[in-house]
Amino acid sequence: MSPAKEAAAEQAPILTLDGISKSFDLGKGKTLEAITGVSFGVSRNEICVILGPSGCGKSTVLRMMAGLETPTSGDLMLEGRHIDGPGRDRGMVFQAYTSFDWMSVRRNVEFGMKINGVPASERRDRADHYIRLVGLTKFADAYPTQLSGGMRQRVAIARTLANGPELLLMDEPFGALDAETRWHMQELLVEIAESTRTTIVMVTHDIEEAIFLADKIVFMSRHPGRVKCEIVPEFKNGKRITEKEKVIDLDGYSEIERQIMRLMREEGAKD
Amino acid sequence: MSESVSAPPRRRHFLEVRKPVSKRQAVLSAIAIWVVFFGIWAAASASGMVNELLVPAPQKVLFTIYDLFAERAFAADVLISIMRVLIAFLLASIVAIPLGVMMGSFPAVEGIVNPFVSAWRYLPAPSFIPILLMWFGTGETPKLALLFIGVVFLLITLVMDHTKNVRHELVETALTLGANRYVTVRSVILPAVLPEIVIAMRQMLAVTWTYLVIAEIVASTTGIGAMMMRARRFLHTDEIMAGIIVIGALGLIFDLLFVRLHRQLFPYIQEKRR
Ligand SMILES: Nc1ncnc2c1ncn2[C@@H]1O[C@H](COP(=O)(O)OP(=O)(O)OP(=O)(O)O)[C@@H](O)[C@H]1O
Ligand SMILES: [Mg+2]
Repeated sequence: MSPAKEAAAEQAPILTLDGISKSFDLGKGKTLEAITGVSFGVSRNEICVILGPSGCGKSTVLRMMAGLETPTSGDLMLEGRHIDGPGRDRGMVFQAYTSFDWMSVRRNVEFGMKINGVPASERRDRADHYIRLVGLTKFADAYPTQLSGGMRQRVAIARTLANGPELLLMDEPFGALDAETRWHMQELLVEIAESTRTTIVMVTHDIEEAIFLADKIVFMSRHPGRVKCEIVPEFKNGKRITEKEKVIDLDGYSEIERQIMRLMREEGAKD
Repeated sequence: MSESVSAPPRRRHFLEVRKPVSKRQAVLSAIAIWVVFFGIWAAASASGMVNELLVPAPQKVLFTIYDLFAERAFAADVLISIMRVLIAFLLASIVAIPLGVMMGSFPAVEGIVNPFVSAWRYLPAPSFIPILLMWFGTGETPKLALLFIGVVFLLITLVMDHTKNVRHELVETALTLGANRYVTVRSVILPAVLPEIVIAMRQMLAVTWTYLVIAEIVASTTGIGAMMMRARRFLHTDEIMAGIIVIGALGLIFDLLFVRLHRQLFPYIQEKRR
């Protein structure tokens, strides 16, 4: 492939959302329009962050990408295939701990590969690789209940990545962590995105986290939930920087932070 | 090495909110309560405050236990009682655990089975004794059937409820890792709920003992309960009390076995966070 063609392939979105709406049936004839007309695309190797106030439908959108929720109308496509139900090509990391407590860290990480029929020796190698990547080699034989919150979340990330998904979906994965652990995990995620070239869609309501991680921010507004705007942090010049303070020091950081805070405040005023 | 100035140790109160006590204190407390119990009993007997015919002295009851086992083949009765409990409990578990897990995993199965089970659960099992005796005569079958009926419906409900409580994120994680429905139930829901199932079994085993005594008192010539009913006819209160103590001791032993089993099967639950 010529460099130009390669660049074009990078640009074309592998994941597209086309006019997605979702209303929940609340019973007694009432329905809740959670999101309406949500359309955007995610390119290969991109880190796309969905940001917005609480209740705007971020989780709903992400869960539809995972196939855990079906849209009332509209269509989701991953690499030209309609998304219909969950599958191993879209791995999900939840905010709550999802480690399988009855398995060691290694068996947790091997789980996805095991149920998908990956041979034992390959499974072990790949598990070792991803356990090393998230820095848990010393704890490979420990049970998740022996680990801290941040370590458990790293187990979940390693388990998802080891399964080789095309898309890594994360719903406020660091929401329950303390500030320092959170910041380590964000840096780790940038490193992982660089070394595994996985496409990542992450939901957060932390502005700083969004600006640090995102190649593109999809900002959602609420009542009903829709895409308000897409923000590309141009100031990073398309580079990924693994040290958080360096990003904060860059020209243009505070400007984009202010812009997003204004958007958030407008949303808050709706209450 | 310099002596470090240490703060005086904080005085530990006897009552500390949710602070575990030492192993030594736990054992001493357990012994103490029984010493007090037997002490009061022995004192009441010795002082003649109670009718010796109705409340024999503890040492007499203990001797009777020894005598029953050594001279009067009580072990055979105990053994048959244990066998009844174990067989009925095993059959109930074989039915209830798979069914309960299926009901807790698949609402469609719950929709079929639960309307049936929840009705049976409210029927007191002993109300079936007359009809069970008519159907099955006097052999082992009616006793086993009573124990089975008394336990199985409760156990199904308990297992179902615990299965429903398995966190939905675990199920969704399995699905997004590519698990199909059956793998999700077998490899995630079942191992996640298993510790709770073992606890439910422990609770239901105690219930099985209750029904055993009812069955043996009402409709049996063998077993611990039948021995106690025979003793009543001859006003042998010491034998009745011996029976009660043996049943209590057996219940305690089975309970401890279940605690051990739980610890063996689920070491990850016992592990403390570093
Ligand atoms: N299963 C459901 N049944 C009914 N309503 C739902 C359901 N899931 C979500 N909703 C509603 O849809 C709206 C969007 O919810 P969603 O969880 O997607 O928001 P969110 O942006 O992720 O919020 P947060 O930042 O607080 O996590 C909310 O009003 C919520 O109450
Ligand atoms: Mg959410």
